[in-house]
Amino acid sequence: MLDPLATDSAPPITRLVEAFHRLPGIGPKSAQRLAYHVLRAPAAEAHALADALVAVKEQIVLCAHCQNVAEQNPCRICQDTGRDRTVVCVVEEPLDVVAIERTHGFRGLFHVLHGVISPSDNVGPEDIKIAELLARLRDVDTEVTEVIVATNPNLEGEATAMYISRLLRPLGIRVTRLASGLPAGADLEYADNLTLGRALEFRQEVR
Amino acid sequence: MTLLTPARGKVDAVAKGVLRPRSKLAGHLEPGTQVEVMLAQGRTLDVITQAQTVATYAGIRGDLDRLGTAMYLVEVTDRLTVDHTEPAAFELLAAALERLERGDGAHLLTRTFEMDLLGETGFRPQWDVCIACGRTVEGEEVAWTPSGGGVVCSACRPRYPEAEGLAGTTLKVLRAIQRGPYDQAARIRLNPVLAAALERVMHDLVRSVAERDLGSQRFIEAVRRTASAPPESSDVASCP
Repeated sequence: MLDPLATDSAPPITRLVEAFHRLPGIGPKSAQRLAYHVLRAPAAEAHALADALVAVKEQIVLCAHCQNVAEQNPCRICQDTGRDRTVVCVVEEPLDVVAIERTHGFRGLFHVLHGVISPSDNVGPEDIKIAELLARLRDVDTEVTEVIVATNPNLEGEATAMYISRLLRPLGIRVTRLASGLPAGADLEYADNLTLGRALEFRQEVR
Repeated sequence: MTLLTPARGKVDAVAKGVLRPRSKLAGHLEPGTQVEVMLAQGRTLDVITQAQTVATYAGIRGDLDRLGTAMYLVEVTDRLTVDHTEPAAFELLAAALERLERGDGAHLLTRTFEMDLLGETGFRPQWDVCIACGRTVEGEEVAWTPSGGGVVCSACRPRYPEAEGLAGTTLKVLRAIQRGPYDQAARIRLNPVLAAALERVMHDLVRSVAERDLGSQRFIEAVRRTASAPPESSDVASCP
């Protein structure tokens, strides 16, 4: 079988194809297309891409409080005095912060775990930012009274939520979980038993 | 994703679009659930076109200790089986999850599951006769080796420098679990020391066959370390 990466192209092009191919979700053919797109693009566009790649590695730091990726430490959200410091929303990834911020429905603080407990992938509690969360909540100056565990409603997310809940129990902090049920536009016929059961259990009065 | 089937053993299949919030398949294809699927035969991998949940094991999902055990059962099955072989693994895993769901003690059901699965996959441990000479092994303190897969007699022990001691009570319970049936083994009362000894032996065996550490075992240990952990298993009585 022909290896799409084994091209007769000049070495710089082959290097670029290989670099794109290492990105998640980029197959050999897509990597080739992207590389040739960069080759055909104006030099300014290629430089802008290179600068953006370098900047993201050199200028982005982890916020020491919430562990989110940010330009400064502490991050913009942790510095914002207008936010509710009694509630912390725990999420798996930085992109989850973006998703929740987009709702404009949450004014508390965040904590990013950078992963989820996944034994089959050999990721345990010590491999994600749970110790940092615990240290933050054990701080004598903490005002936190509620932790919302917003991990995904799948097996790994539930295990992580229950593990965090058990760790926080002795601290006397209220631990809550995001509600789960049917997504907007869903079809009841195709809903799984667990989701439908939860949707029924946590039903709401029609206003 | 990997499916464990009653007819074809372990099968890899593709589930398209399951990360989308409105996916019709996603909720039915959670790890550790029993599901009925329709597979379209693909050139390299089959594609899941329909899925319907048969058992969600809600009791397991709502309990951290039981969830850890379920993750271990699933991981052991994955590590010890090879694609398209061992169809009996499905029945063993389904029975173990059913027992865990109804609240059976995690220790004995896990030890039974490990023993049965090792047997089905061709790694049946030898607890009665010496793995080297075949002589019946008796006594209060015998030796055993995980890499050899069973007990060694005192005459053959020098040939197995890695062999460790095995208490007579532990050996007796291992034999009882292996002879089965489960309902009989489930009546054994374990104290924490015996439960820990059985767990160590079976984990060493599984690790030796799988040739790697199991992440779910690390997770179970982390859960046990949580300060306010309640008693995790109803089959372990406190030491007198």
